[in-house]
Amino acid sequence: MTFFSDTDCDITPKECAEYGIKMIIMPYTVGEKVIYPYIDFEKFDAHSFYDMLRGGTMPTTSAMSEEAYIQHFEPEFQAGNDILYVHFSSATSNTFNIMGQAVDKLLAKYPGRKFYHIDTLGITALSYNIVLECADMYKAGKTAEEIVEWAKVEVPKFSMYFFADDLKFFRRSGRVSGLAATMGGLIGIRPIIYLNDEGKMVSIGKEKGRAKAIARLVQYVEELGEDVKAHRVLIGHTDCPDIVAETVKMLKEKFGDDLNVIVNDVNPTIGSHCGPDAIGICFHAKHR
Amino acid sequence: MLRQGAVALGKEKTAVNDLNVFPIPDGDTGDNMYMTIKAGCTALEGHLGTLSELSAAASSGMLLGARGNSGVILSRIFAGLSKGLQGVVVADTKAFAEAMQSAVAEAYKSIPVPVEGTIITVLREGAAGADASGDLNRYFDTLLQAMQVSLDHTPELLAVLKDAGVVDSGGAGLLCIFRGMNEALCGEVSDEELVPTSAPSTPAVELDKFDENSTLEFGYCTEFLLRLMRAKVDLETFDEQVIIDYLNQVGESVVAFREGTIVKVHVHTFTPGVVLNEMQKYGEFLTIKIENMSLQHHQETNQNNASFKKPKQKYGVVTVASGEGLVNSFREIGADEVIAGGQTMNPSTQDFVEAFKRINAQHILVFPNNKNIKMSAEQAASLYDKAEIHVMPSNTIGEGYYGIGFIDRDNPDVDEVIANVTELMESVTTGMVSTAIRDAEGEGVTVHTGDFVGYCDKKILTDSIYRSEAAKTLCERVGAASRDVMLVFYGKDVPAEEAEKLVADLKATYKNLEIMLNNGEQPVYDYIFVLC
Repeated sequence: MTFFSDTDCDITPKECAEYGIKMIIMPYTVGEKVIYPYIDFEKFDAHSFYDMLRGGTMPTTSAMSEEAYIQHFEPEFQAGNDILYVHFSSATSNTFNIMGQAVDKLLAKYPGRKFYHIDTLGITALSYNIVLECADMYKAGKTAEEIVEWAKVEVPKFSMYFFADDLKFFRRSGRVSGLAATMGGLIGIRPIIYLNDEGKMVSIGKEKGRAKAIARLVQYVEELGEDVKAHRVLIGHTDCPDIVAETVKMLKEKFGDDLNVIVNDVNPTIGSHCGPDAIGICFHAKHR
Repeated sequence: MLRQGAVALGKEKTAVNDLNVFPIPDGDTGDNMYMTIKAGCTALEGHLGTLSELSAAASSGMLLGARGNSGVILSRIFAGLSKGLQGVVVADTKAFAEAMQSAVAEAYKSIPVPVEGTIITVLREGAAGADASGDLNRYFDTLLQAMQVSLDHTPELLAVLKDAGVVDSGGAGLLCIFRGMNEALCGEVSDEELVPTSAPSTPAVELDKFDENSTLEFGYCTEFLLRLMRAKVDLETFDEQVIIDYLNQVGESVVAFREGTIVKVHVHTFTPGVVLNEMQKYGEFLTIKIENMSLQHHQETNQNNASFKKPKQKYGVVTVASGEGLVNSFREIGADEVIAGGQTMNPSTQDFVEAFKRINAQHILVFPNNKNIKMSAEQAASLYDKAEIHVMPSNTIGEGYYGIGFIDRDNPDVDEVIANVTELMESVTTGMVSTAIRDAEGEGVTVHTGDFVGYCDKKILTDSIYRSEAAKTLCERVGAASRDVMLVFYGKDVPAEEAEKLVADLKATYKNLEIMLNNGEQPVYDYIFVLC
């Protein structure tokens, strides 16, 4: 069985090599130029990328072609391998409709093969956390069926809450529901957003000032968390190390220094929709 | 007579301005009253007619020209006079005295809570003390005497006047006007020109606003009519959403709709050429208009251009600010019209009416940002019927900025929107740092001319010879430590480095306070701190 993930899940080439994961690259477009992460650059320079967004550049993202999916998957089926693909939320992109068509064609061509997929119902740190859990099991020799069974119970238990300084990116992407049409970001009022059970982004309230917004994220971890310390706590951010440092400090004060916190840069494709200075915490919870 | 009143006030307006209670240039009463009465004179120019016609014309001119609270009240006084003079051919003492009573009634009616010790007291006591049993000269002599006595007593009625050691400025202005009218009555008409005032008028396109060193900050307002071409698209199935989606990627403020095979488009973009090329994939252009928005600003040119009228919005926003940075900030946060003005230059009723006309919205929310501007806004609201005007209780720049930023334009319930905005504004505190223009005593603070003073809610909280020192103490006094967000607008006299240094220091002091620095470039106020 071959394990696939994608760059929208924040997994890096280094980890892919460690775990033996094959990566699907999700492109983004700056001006006229289509950019493929880790093909067009070796290491993601988050600071330069998000600074470019601060400067007013608005990258766009697009779905992949059927042909691109076939190029990824067909060699595995040809070689007699089944596929397990752990991917970002299908509710946030129509790329998965196109993938579905590609997979249907391939399964018809290779009737003996199996295609398993796990929808993390999330993006960035949320997907990343689930991919790492699945990768641990894969490394421990679990079968695709076992991992898929685990995911049915566990995916709804990985929760992510986040906020952003500048809402124009979210507003432009139109992918967050319940977001009031105010210019709250300019006056320091930040909507708190979470990913719901369907993998959609929903605004569930607002906080005045960064300090309160961070405190509210941490409060969710405390109140909603379940076996928090038995899992990784992922902090995804778009070039705001100061806010991250404050958040990590607060988390460790509440949960102890041995809390397994991993900080990662939100990938540029998803980052194009969040904008700079956004932060989210993904943790294991009672429910989302 | 009216003209001579204006001339007299024109001479004295600086003296009247100096009677302001606050040691900061603030709501210059003399200027406001002068511009108001001047608007009345302008309305009379070239007019010949009966006394009632003339007084009606003057009063309606003043109604539109009214600036500041004192100006609005003055316009009401003359509206009352005019009402009293209706049908009168030659005003004798009796007729004039009765008209004065009508003026008193109208003035009191115009203020929700009349405060004694102000212009209305001087008018009322003057009218009551005037002797109407003799001729008009006798009436005016006694009227002026009674007004002077009343004016001298204003400090006894109003503690703020007493504390500041001045008489009421509005009352003093009114006395000037009536003195001038008396001179005219006695035949002492001067030929003096009325002083031109720096009323904010709508400038023509100023090409200098974008020079070889400018950066393209706003992009281009790009409008065109695109004829969808049969050779390029399937006219039956073509969905203009494709165009809208594209425009949303490359621009902002997108408005696009289709009528038959014509698509009307409005977009703000930095690369109009790219947009036009893309659009040619679908059709050919009927008309194209591209304007650099740095030059556009006040020039919402296409208002009367029927071929392209902005679609009616649910909400429009009008506010008042001065300083280029502050004006831009207000636009950025959602104000459709920013009327030039503020503390030292109160916009007129007409300025508001003109701003309303430039907006096509069902509801227009007005943020006057100053108590002294509110009445002009309200008067304008009563004169305008093309939209529902809501004058919001924003008394400071900070309240206005926060209020506008919190308007949820997707919420169809206007009452709820207003309630939410009002509630937020109530939680906002605005502190300001300015230079003292004279010595004064604050609450436990001694103010020296030329010092930097920090104040909030008309209370002077600190005085220092150092600007940053005054700013820091002010932040402390207004309770920055218990707040979550503070916006800082620095004025045109403050170097950017100084403001940045101050903010760095404040950030170090208030760890949990999020501080956002903006270059307001505003006059008068070196710093405006907005806490929420």
